[in-house]
Parts: sequence; C-alpha cells; structure tokens
Amino acid sequence: MTLKKVSNGALVLAVVSFIVGVVWNTTGEKGEKSEIHIGEHRTADWPLVGTVHIDTIISTFVAGAVVLLLGFLARRALTRDPEDHVPTKLQLIWEAVVGQVNSQVEDNLGKVHPYAAPLAISLFFFILFANWIELLPLKVNESDHLLSVPTADTNLTYALAAVTIISVWAYGIRQKGLGGYLKHFFEPFPVMFPLNLLEELIKPVTLALRLFGNIFAGGIMLALIGLMPFYIAWAPNLLWKAFGGAIAVIQAFIFALLTVLYFAMAGAGHGDEHHDEHDEAKDEEHADSPEVDKVPVPA
Amino acid sequence: MALTEQLVPLVLAAAGEGEEETSNFLVPNGTFFIELAAFLLLFWLLTRYIIPFINGAMERRQEAIRAEFAELDEAKAEAKGAEEEYKAQLADARKEAARIREEAREQGSQIVAEAREAAVVEANRVKEQAQAQIAAERQAALTSLRAEVGSLATTLAGRIVGEALEDDERSNRVVDRFLADLEALESARPAAQNGATS
Repeated sequence: MTLKKVSNGALVLAVVSFIVGVVWNTTGEKGEKSEIHIGEHRTADWPLVGTVHIDTIISTFVAGAVVLLLGFLARRALTRDPEDHVPTKLQLIWEAVVGQVNSQVEDNLGKVHPYAAPLAISLFFFILFANWIELLPLKVNESDHLLSVPTADTNLTYALAAVTIISVWAYGIRQKGLGGYLKHFFEPFPVMFPLNLLEELIKPVTLALRLFGNIFAGGIMLALIGLMPFYIAWAPNLLWKAFGGAIAVIQAFIFALLTVLYFAMAGAGHGDEHHDEHDEAKDEEHADSPEVDKVPVPA
Repeated sequence: MALTEQLVPLVLAAAGEGEEETSNFLVPNGTFFIELAAFLLLFWLLTRYIIPFINGAMERRQEAIRAEFAELDEAKAEAKGAEEEYKAQLADARKEAARIREEAREQGSQIVAEAREAAVVEANRVKEQAQAQIAAERQAALTSLRAEVGSLATTLAGRIVGEALEDDERSNRVVDRFLADLEALESARPAAQNGATS
C-alpha cells in the first residue's frame, strides 16, 4: 500500500514536472544555459592566505555543521538516559560507522588506535555529507550557484589528503623510529628507493584526486543533464542523483578505508602482510579509476 | 541535436582552462589552508566530544548485554540445580516411602507373629492353669473323699455285715490299703498319661 502511494506520488510528480517543464521551456528565456564553467568559483582575497573560494568554504562549513549537529544530537540522546541502552536511530548510524571503522582499524593496526580511528571516522562523515551537498538542487545550472560541492574543489581534497598522509608518516615514525621508518624506503632492495619514495608521495595525490575526480565528474554530469530540456531532464537527473548518492558513500568509505590501510602499511614490518595490504590498496585504486576516467570525457 | 552543440563549448572550456580567467582547478590556492583548518577543527571536535561518547555507549551496552547474559546463565544454572535437587529429593522421598512401606510390612508380620505367639502362650497358660485347677480340685475332692469314704464304707459295710467293724485298727488298715491302692492307681494313670503325651 505504501509502495503504491509512493509510485502514485512519483507519477504525479513526473506529470507535473513534465507540464511545468514544457511551459518553462517554451516561455523562459534561453541562451546563457549552454555555458558550463569548470573550476569557476566565487573568489575573494583574504589576508594571510590569499585567494580563497568563498563558495567552497561556505559549503565546507555547511557539511561540517551538519556532521557536528548530527554528532551532538546523537550525544544528547546518549547522555539523556544512560541507563537505557536502547539506541536511537541517529545513534545507530553513528555506531554503525564507528563500529565498522573501529573493527577495520583493529584488524589492520592490532588495536583501536586512539588517533587513527577517530581520523577515519571524521573523514568518512565529513566527506559523506560534503559529497551529498551535490544532491541538493541548489545550483540549477547557474554560474553563481548557492552551494558548490566542497569535495569537487581540490583545495579540500588536498587538505584532507595532507592531514591523512602527515598523520600516517607521524604514525610510522612513532611506531618504528625515524631510522626504522626511513629504512623501509630501501626495502626490499635499495634500488627500489625511487619507487618507494614515489609511492609515498603519490599516496596523498591519489587520495585527493580520486575523491575530487569522482565528485567533480558527478557535478559535470548534473550540469550536462541540466542542459537537457526540463521535461526530459528529470529522468536522468533522478537516476544520476541516486547514483551520485551511492558514489558519495563509496568515495567517503574508500577515503576512510585507505587512510586506515596507509596507517597499517606505515606501522607494519616488511613482510608478506605488507605486500598484501599494499596490493589491496592498489586494487581499490584500480577498481576506482575507471570511474574517474569514464565520466569526465563526454566527447 | 542541441545537446552536441551545447557540449562543444564545454569541451573547449575544459581544454582551454589554463588560459581562462579562472585558475587551473588542480592547483590549490589559499582555500587549502582554510579547508585544512576547518577539517582539523571538525576532527578535533569529533574526537573530543562525539566519538568517545559513541564508543562509551557501545561499550556500556555491550557490557549490559554481557551482564544480562551472565545473569541469565547464572539463573539457568540455579534453576538447573534446583531442579536436580528437587529430583534428588523426590527420588529420596520415593526411596524413603518404599523403605517405610517395607518396614511396615515387616513390622506388621512381626506383630502378627508376636501376637500369634503370645496367643499360643496365653492359650497354653490358660490350659495349664485350668489343668492345674482341675488337678487341685480333683486332689481336694480326693482328699475329702478319702476322709469320708473310709468311714462311710466302714459304716456301710458294718450295716451290711451287721456287726460292727469297730476294730479301728483293722478297718483303718483295710481302708488305708484300699486308698493306697487307689492312689497308686491314681498316680500310675497320670504318669501313663504324661508318658503318652510327652
């Protein structure tokens, strides 16, 4: 019965949007629509840091505020009745992610590391909600959009990757000592040093650009769909937004997972285990890369 | 198709991004530092205020569940123990009842046997008493007879004979002999009787 209601509602919505679209398309003015500007942001010159993207910063704070709000709501529900162990739905969401990341960290690092686990959790939630901003219909193909996705700006993804990789290096040095950590660049053979160094430097770049590429491509797809006539656009828009929502989850998950795996690789000794994890991480990247390649080449 | 016409400026824009007034989107600018600070702030807030609480709640719930299970196990073990005790007691009671029944049966038969024995003894006693009484009475009768029979017989005999058999010595002798014979006969009879019974 509920399903019938939903399908009826969807049908009504489709018919109404079709009519509205036809009317809009025939009466509205055209011309500016056909321009898609890539990498265009509202900029400002701020002291100390120089040129900044205002829109990215605003949407970053929106995403962060949503995460914090959910977090504090969950915490308030937690502390309200400590004797009642029945979790709220919000708490269940948090617990699902926290529990998952904790077990992942425990599997890879041997214990629930008090720094790595919160970092991965924070990355997951922040990236997830930042990605989902894309789903809000707040920029209907306008250059001066209200909220641009912060993860479609390399500034954010570079920053996240920098936090991750510096934490990973610090963790590796603390686990093995500076000499022990540097020694791993020359293993298994000293001749591998350039490759190892390159790998270590590429890690943050791939982290940042994978996330950026996926979300940016999703945005371009939405802009392309927005170029279609309104009475057709709703169908691919619906599909692509559903797909984009899933991509947002996957990208957030991959970023958090790779963070944990990089921690594990930095802390682990050089054995078969290390290479397995290494291969796994590489596989993740490869499995992911067709997505990046496929989407931004519409020609 | 309008879409392909619309795609051309997009591709051109993408290709000529570097020369446009917008900067290359792969090169970070000052936003990087703002984003870095923003994420570090978020990370710190989550680590400080949210995640420990979530972890704590999860641990507390697990602890509560573990405690519940432990309690459940304890209660189960207790119930099992109680049941075993109950069963053992029941078996004990059954055994006890059987023992008591057996005992009662034995006691009953013993009582019956005792009563029978007592009855036999009593009967014997009564019989012996009666016999003794009979014997005593008979003895008394005999004694009294002895006294009377002599004089009576003498008197009768004197009357018949017509002469007084007043010779006491002789008559006494005759009577005594007669009585002695009688007594001998008398004592021989119970002796024979006793010999026959024993």
